[in-house]
Amino acid sequence: MSSLGRHDSAAPERGSPSDFSRRRFLQVMGASMALASASGCTWDTEEILPFQRRPEGRIPGSTQRFATAIECSGVASALLVSSYDGRPIKIEGNPLRVQEGGACSARSQAAVLDLYDPDLSRGLVQVHEGVPYPRSWKEFDPWFAAELARRRAGGGAGLAILAEPSSSLTQAALRARFMEQFPRTRWVEWEPLARTQELEGARLAFGRGVRTLPRLETARTLACFDADILGEHPDALQLSRAFARRRDPDGGEVLRTWVFESTPSLTGAAADQRLALRCEQILPLVLALELRVLEALAGGGSNSAALLGSGFLKDPEVAATLEALAQELVAQRGRSLLIAGPRQPAAVHALLQRINSRLGNVGSTLLHVQAAVDEARDPAAELAQLVREIEAGAIDALLILGGNPVYDAPADVDLRRALRKLALSAHLGHYRDETSRACTWHLPRAHALESWGDARAWDGTVCTIQPLIDPLYERRSVIELLAGMCAITVSARELVRAAVAGSADEAQWRRILHDGMVPGSAFVAVECTLLDFEVEAPRARQLALEVANAQLELVFAADAKLHDGRSANNAWLQELPDAITKLCWGNAAIFAESTARQLGVEEGMLVRLALGGRELEVAATILPGQAPGSVTLALGYGRSGAGLVGGLAEQDVDPVGYDAYRLRASGALHFAGGLTVTPTDRSVELARTQDAPLIDAIGTQGRDERVGELLRVITLEQLRHTPDGEAHAAAHAAHGSLFAAAPQGEVRWGMSIDLNACIGCNACVIACQAENNVPVVGREQVIRNREMHWIRLDRYFVGEGAAARVRFQPMTCQHCESAPCEQVCPVAATVHSAEGLNEMVYNRCVGTRYCANNCPFKVRRFNFFNYHKQLEQKGRDVQRMLYNPEVTVRSRGVMEKCTFCVQRIQNAKIDAKNAGRKLADGDVTPACAQTCPTHAIVFGDLADEHSRVSRRRADRRAYTMLEELHIRQRTTYMARVDNPHPAAGAHGG
Amino acid sequence: MNPFPKWTNHLRLAIGVGGAAVGVYAVALFAYGASPATMNVGYAPQQPVPFSHAMHAGELGLDCRYCHTTVEQGARAAVPPTETCMNCHQRIRTASPALDPVFSSWSSGLPVRWQRVHDLPDYVYFDHSAHVTRGVGCVSCHGRVDTMERVEQQAPLSMGWCLGCHRDPTPFLRPVEFVTAMDWEPEGPAAELGARLAAEKRLRPSTDCSTCHR
Repeated sequence: MSSLGRHDSAAPERGSPSDFSRRRFLQVMGASMALASASGCTWDTEEILPFQRRPEGRIPGSTQRFATAIECSGVASALLVSSYDGRPIKIEGNPLRVQEGGACSARSQAAVLDLYDPDLSRGLVQVHEGVPYPRSWKEFDPWFAAELARRRAGGGAGLAILAEPSSSLTQAALRARFMEQFPRTRWVEWEPLARTQELEGARLAFGRGVRTLPRLETARTLACFDADILGEHPDALQLSRAFARRRDPDGGEVLRTWVFESTPSLTGAAADQRLALRCEQILPLVLALELRVLEALAGGGSNSAALLGSGFLKDPEVAATLEALAQELVAQRGRSLLIAGPRQPAAVHALLQRINSRLGNVGSTLLHVQAAVDEARDPAAELAQLVREIEAGAIDALLILGGNPVYDAPADVDLRRALRKLALSAHLGHYRDETSRACTWHLPRAHALESWGDARAWDGTVCTIQPLIDPLYERRSVIELLAGMCAITVSARELVRAAVAGSADEAQWRRILHDGMVPGSAFVAVECTLLDFEVEAPRARQLALEVANAQLELVFAADAKLHDGRSANNAWLQELPDAITKLCWGNAAIFAESTARQLGVEEGMLVRLALGGRELEVAATILPGQAPGSVTLALGYGRSGAGLVGGLAEQDVDPVGYDAYRLRASGALHFAGGLTVTPTDRSVELARTQDAPLIDAIGTQGRDERVGELLRVITLEQLRHTPDGEAHAAAHAAHGSLFAAAPQGEVRWGMSIDLNACIGCNACVIACQAENNVPVVGREQVIRNREMHWIRLDRYFVGEGAAARVRFQPMTCQHCESAPCEQVCPVAATVHSAEGLNEMVYNRCVGTRYCANNCPFKVRRFNFFNYHKQLEQKGRDVQRMLYNPEVTVRSRGVMEKCTFCVQRIQNAKIDAKNAGRKLADGDVTPACAQTCPTHAIVFGDLADEHSRVSRRRADRRAYTMLEELHIRQRTTYMARVDNPHPAAGAHGG
Repeated sequence: MNPFPKWTNHLRLAIGVGGAAVGVYAVALFAYGASPATMNVGYAPQQPVPFSHAMHAGELGLDCRYCHTTVEQGARAAVPPTETCMNCHQRIRTASPALDPVFSSWSSGLPVRWQRVHDLPDYVYFDHSAHVTRGVGCVSCHGRVDTMERVEQQAPLSMGWCLGCHRDPTPFLRPVEFVTAMDWEPEGPAAELGARLAAEKRLRPSTDCSTCHR
């Protein structure tokens, strides 16, 4: 009986009935391709369909790679996309953006899944008297042209365009063209996670809204104030690379990172010193810091005494950390960098600009560039103004270009109600989402991989966007729609060429497309003069030491996976465990242990959050490292119009997680005090991939005792004093092994993972999923510990309560030379290759699961169901296009695990031998190592003593996990090296 | 008193016969499963165009790589695009009704729907370039295609057959310049030449599972 049939006929053991449709859908979305013809049976016939003319350079059955980009919140990520027989199947970073070296974020990589998402809009929809009718562009175009023509005489008065901000030059040119023809049309931009306050802070400090580009290469001291530069920052990939280089204990002077934040972030996990503070407390902290820094620079003074003696600042730990940081900043003047996150108010940004300027960091560790038109902006107020004008009847037609404002507008701006007043409202969107459903027209928007365009990277480099495939359905990009509105008949390709390449000749244009970027187009640094400004004194609440209910703050966090909610229908991202909480399939309000105890809140309990007269019931989770008094809730969940994965009210698919936007008002978009929390007597089971309750207390204790040995951390000081690395090494008696030594082939593949470089960004997990056709299993199966990821990021907490620190350890098959799994397999389904790979032979596997039971690292994954079943059926051709044909699709009852990307090894070997050369170090790169932004993962030949992996293995920081088992893993780790301040508080190290 | 009911007298016989039947069934199943007929040896499907390799590759002496251009670079030998046919058939036999599918593909842009003859299971990752550039001749797996009016599968293409060569490739190696020569014969004993070629090119075909299964 099929897995699906069984689910359909049996009552669910857990979860609501709606879980059915979602799981069914997941099997579709997450599954891999099985060729239509049943494999393994030669009686089935196959056809060969050659081209009429084969495109130049195309070798059927080989991948071609094209440079393109994807834009998110107005910032481009440069990509290199692999296309297999014309189908984009894998996204990597563009290695020509040298600093990134081909790295790519988890979110950008997952975009390829969206392209084949059956929920992605496939046609136009017009709603007439509440009934949706399918339409085509042929029907829309003449009607809309007539509508525009009617308004032309009035200069476009009454028409408004609500757009997602974009850095596209083409779009800017078209916008200018359109506004020329329709000068009285209102153009409003809205983006829920706009980084407006950074610009406002710069305007306060310098009188102009400049963007700050951090330059970690020259920094020795980095202080982050609620700033997750390694995770949330638009330029996180490049910053991560620079950060890892500066943390390398053998790479010169080592950076020391100080982080002040409410919820542990990737930067907080990587920091040498971390202090958990409420978001509200950052302002008084920065004020006090500035006073101390200025005093230290002046060589004395006591202006800061009053502030330092009040509230939380007089806490000995805070005081010690602050003092140590101030001293170090002054000592490292010109080589320090202070940076605040987008949640912090303009005042904090302005103060940090002033400290950076006073310390002489500008031009050294940070640059200022003019990224956008310099004008004061308050997007929330502009959106509210637009809604008021619609309500007043001043605007009678609205065109929404991208975004999902009905879902993500501030809670006090009722765009949905305003849209009901409009006879003409159209939304160009990837999905028929909340906004589309509130409009009279839904227009399908082309995916980035099927359209022409351009966008600027964070540093200003213009990246070109070229289609990898023709639109699968009749979809249009923003550029195409705008061009149509301006009555431009030139193709999108020509428009982009004119905007980004100008007068470049054909050869130059081809070079730009090939490289995916316009050379020399980065922003130029500008000089800024510091103005005199005052910042108002902190309020009592911000200084409070003890926080009671109603004095709590609620922090709205950008989700690392779904961003603002746009990726909610992406099953890879939904199932990706959050780096810190390890939650998947949903969000939860994060409480500190002490706060939860005070309020009577327990793990998984449903609590009612009340803020500014609005209420929301959410699940609670307790997280070590969270600041007491601060409650964090990720945005982007609780969608009712996302699709069958993320939630779709129309088809009774419950939303995934809770919609934080319902508490987010214009006055407090990022965090707000005055939160009250009321526990309820109900609770839910949260899906998470770690922290499953251990069987007994002895197990828990045993784990805690061993963490330090499994995941080794030493201080820079210790490393310097023990050059042979004995500081972290555990002594194990040398037992003889009962098993014969494994064959030592000519090539010995091995991997090294540097825990000092790993920042926990999850990019490797998605890279592996895309490369190896790893299925998605759904929330219920995750709760039963049946997730299928071949690589996981183990997260450990060191320490207790708010002072707990986070440590990451990527874990995947260790390819033991004397593998415990091989010794117990009754059918030789897992065997060793001459090159040292622990191979899985799917056809032999009978599913005893003995191997998984005997694996000390628990990296083997079992297919409890045929997660690909749906894809094998007719009418699923489009979804089947995604999957990597180089990797076998596994069926039910089969064990699977990391193969070291054996398909890449084989192809590299064949290519090298075809070319008559030997394999060079770096020729084989598994998907995880390829995408790692910090080069934490290195793969290569251990038989070659000059390979990077061999050199790393010989390093004094290298160690093998569970060495006492004598299983001789091919994957080894390198100890993490922290650089805590000797005098700062106990939160260090 | 006998504690067993009377019908148990026949039990021994039933078990014996049953056991023998299972044995016969198992042998028959394996024999059938591994027989050349099961392996599709001799499979020669009707093609949309009665393309004669005997004429093109045999009589006219076209090199295999004139059409199968990607065989030395990629995993697939690639059936040629319609354009390749039209290189000649724009001038030759332009009115032949047998070529209608080619002409209609040329005018419509749609592919000619060829039937795959040599079809490996999807979990087998065979790479043409890895074999051709090492000196394994086309003829070793595909047989004398230059004498076939309609292409047929001559080798069993079973795993055992693949492994036979992977364990000892020497009898099947030839200098690379002769890979497409259908009638090439080594001057001396094939294994001797093969051993020399294998040593020169450092060929040690792997029999690890992951060589062909990923």
